[in-house]
Amino acid sequence: MSATAGSGQTSSGEQLQLLPSGRPFGSLYSGNVRAVVARGLKATWGSNWAIMASGFVEPVLFLIAMGIGLGSLVGTVEGPGGQEIGYIAYIAPALLAVSAMNGAVYDSTWNVFFKLNFAKLYQGMLYTSLGPLDVALGEITLALLRGALYATGFTAILGVMGLITTPWALLMIPASVVIAFGFASFGMGITSFMKTFQQMDWINFLMLPMFLFSATFYPLSVYPQAIQWMIQALPLWHGVELLRQLSVGTFTAATGIHVLYYLVMIVLGLILTTARLRKLFLK
Amino acid sequence: MTEDHLQPGPTPSPGSASAREADAATPLLSLRVPLTPEQSAAKARKYGSLYFAEHWIRTMRGYGWTVAMTAVGTPLVYLYAMGVGLASLVDANTNATLDAGNGAVVSYLTFVAPALLATAGIMVASEENTYPVMSGFKWRRTYYGPNASPLGSHQLVNGHALGVSFRLLLTTGIYFAFLLLFEAVPGSTGWIMIFTAALGGMAFGLPLMAYAASIQEDRGQFAMVQRFIVMPLFLFSGTFFPLASMPWAVQWIGWVSPLWHSAELGRVLSYGYGEPVWLTITHVLYLTVLALAGWAFAQRIYERRLGK
Repeated sequence: MSATAGSGQTSSGEQLQLLPSGRPFGSLYSGNVRAVVARGLKATWGSNWAIMASGFVEPVLFLIAMGIGLGSLVGTVEGPGGQEIGYIAYIAPALLAVSAMNGAVYDSTWNVFFKLNFAKLYQGMLYTSLGPLDVALGEITLALLRGALYATGFTAILGVMGLITTPWALLMIPASVVIAFGFASFGMGITSFMKTFQQMDWINFLMLPMFLFSATFYPLSVYPQAIQWMIQALPLWHGVELLRQLSVGTFTAATGIHVLYYLVMIVLGLILTTARLRKLFLK
Repeated sequence: MTEDHLQPGPTPSPGSASAREADAATPLLSLRVPLTPEQSAAKARKYGSLYFAEHWIRTMRGYGWTVAMTAVGTPLVYLYAMGVGLASLVDANTNATLDAGNGAVVSYLTFVAPALLATAGIMVASEENTYPVMSGFKWRRTYYGPNASPLGSHQLVNGHALGVSFRLLLTTGIYFAFLLLFEAVPGSTGWIMIFTAALGGMAFGLPLMAYAASIQEDRGQFAMVQRFIVMPLFLFSGTFFPLASMPWAVQWIGWVSPLWHSAELGRVLSYGYGEPVWLTITHVLYLTVLALAGWAFAQRIYERRLGK
């Protein structure tokens, strides 16, 4: 192969030939995710790093307020292994899952919405050798970097508060990145359907009940069976349960199901997002 | 249409008697003498605040579907999650007693309901007094047209405040209906919460409006407001648990928080929460003073900025 469409590197003077690359997904992917990531880091962290850095404050405030204040009302709760644990230890992993979801959704919806409709960023990117899968993976990687940073900060604070009781709990960091991946890969695809600010409100509208109902603050058993099934079909509940099990190092058959749920969600989300970007810009 | 409705102005044509008969037959063809420019300017100077409020409410109809959904959906979700789900944990824990301050013990749902209503007021106020205000000055520049007309800048402030009050009352009214549906309001004076929660919203919203109007360059200040003011207020204002259960180091957040004052006031009205009378009066005064101060600041900032 001489110059491939993927590399974009040509020795000066050579005639550039646009040949399809031999790689799998060659028409969608040029193996240059790092360019999208580098641009994103420069743009977001360069302009509003204070907002980015303070993003992990929210779950910490929630933890302090709900853990101490509500904890004084609730007392102890039954943990994943059936043992009684303090309320603050009960909600901590759930709040980490929620913040992974929030960070990923925020990054992959509002930011993408602006870049799609106002900045026309992806149009510019796709006029280069970058393919829709590069753009999707790059944007999602950005969201994940942010999510990993917040998760690490939050887990460090748990450690300082003496809420980390087992080495297994450190696995909460990669697990929250997996959760963020699931939400981010879907968020971007869904955002591509949105045209107005008002439609974007629906995203928040779906997130709030999911946050409140997904066994974050109390066990699922308080609900009637039908509502329990509904919540178990939604992704956040699986994330909350997974992190809760990791936080105490208790594993069951359900652990595998939670992980599998997210793997399927990631794959489906990537397929949706790539297909949408292709439809929008590569007609 | 009668004689005294005719505006003083150029006298009507000689055929006015038959015109009046035609009027009686078809009101749509009423031959009212048009206002002179001076008269309509005088009218605008008199009723300008209402004109702008009308414009504001008509604009709101553009996102009316969102307003309706949030006004109905939010109370349902929160009441079910907190008032039913979380309550089952709290009420099962016999060590925790939410005493009403008068010896009686209230259920968690009753305790949390007035605070949820107060929170709805704060949330609507923070939504309507941030980006919409900024876009009036910066992105869509909706203030500059009316300001070039006989309307004064103070009337834009009043009109916006009236519009926000309207949406607040709409939201708190619907919310209160849901509280009744969940049987969360035992007292007979509970309905006054519709107004105190709206007042709480204005106490938070008007100072925020003044701040939003003073922002020259958007650098994500509103995200910071949301993160460092709205969220902490929501969490540390004795909303989901009595303020007294928090350490002293953070209790002061409640004392300066409009949300705490609004929620406590609601608790007094809803189930006769026993607090000293001077404290109840303090809640009302504090909220009123905050609202008035914010209003005065907003007027000054609008006037300076639009007068440039």
